[in-house]
Amino acid sequence: MQLQDKHRIAILSAYALALHGFESLLPTPIPWLKLGLANIITLVALILYGFRTALMVTLIRVVLASIFIGTFLGPAFILSTGGGLASVVAMGLSIKYFKKFFGTVGISLIGALFHNIAQLSLAYYFFIQRIEAVLIISPVILLLGTLTGIVNGIISDILIKNLLKKNTEKIQNVLHKAP
Amino acid sequence: MKETIKNTTLADRILFFFLIFLSIAGIFVSREALSQGSDVIVEVDGKPAYTLPLNVNKLLSVGGPYGPTLVEIEKGKVRIRESHCRNQICVREGWISRGVIVCLPNKLVIIVAGSSKYQKQGIDAITG
Repeated sequence: MQLQDKHRIAILSAYALALHGFESLLPTPIPWLKLGLANIITLVALILYGFRTALMVTLIRVVLASIFIGTFLGPAFILSTGGGLASVVAMGLSIKYFKKFFGTVGISLIGALFHNIAQLSLAYYFFIQRIEAVLIISPVILLLGTLTGIVNGIISDILIKNLLKKNTEKIQNVLHKAP
Repeated sequence: MKETIKNTTLADRILFFFLIFLSIAGIFVSREALSQGSDVIVEVDGKPAYTLPLNVNKLLSVGGPYGPTLVEIEKGKVRIRESHCRNQICVREGWISRGVIVCLPNKLVIIVAGSSKYQKQGIDAITG
């Protein structure tokens, strides 16, 4: 791994961590509604710098944030890690195989979808173990996830376009052609 | 932002509307499944005597001042099949899948409810 990559990962992780921390301070009207702002950084890292960077950023963010917030190795940590990994892998695969079809917003939606699927299955296996409860809550979570996913996708897209405008030559872009 | 929305691909939009449709449909389906009562509660003289699942067919005989009353559960519905009371209001009410059947002379109340839903119900008023 090159030194430049390490710097990038460090800076992106710091951004993601800040957003994650900020988000955990926000009061939410519904307990399971999370904006997933840190996913913006994951998506930007994935599209601009590739899968490995995004995976590293997500892992660092999940572990450090749980240590800061105080949920390390607890239930929330398991859910957060599972969701984060599933969404990175799903987004990475869809960029690799369906690059032609999906734009940034679509990739973000896929990430949000798999984040929720992973969290619901983990919650079912480890904590709830009642299939009716999971089935009743799933559509609500899916709806909220889709809405936050689209908002995050739009923010990521704007961010990526602006970053590309600033330094076109430094970035090895995957999805977008330089303007 | 407008530009971003305009630049979304066809697959993006299809995915978005599919997910929205799926989740809203899911909400309605799960709500429908919830609101249908899952238990039949038979009260005699104001006290719960039997709690039976609505999806298991059964013929039940409940004793009362006017002799035995036949309560029948079939295909997720319940009715009073036979009663020896005078006005037969309870029998005429027929099959129900939610709500209550009351047979006043026999002091019999049949309630169809999700078990938790029923426990929340209180008494409106008591008159002398």
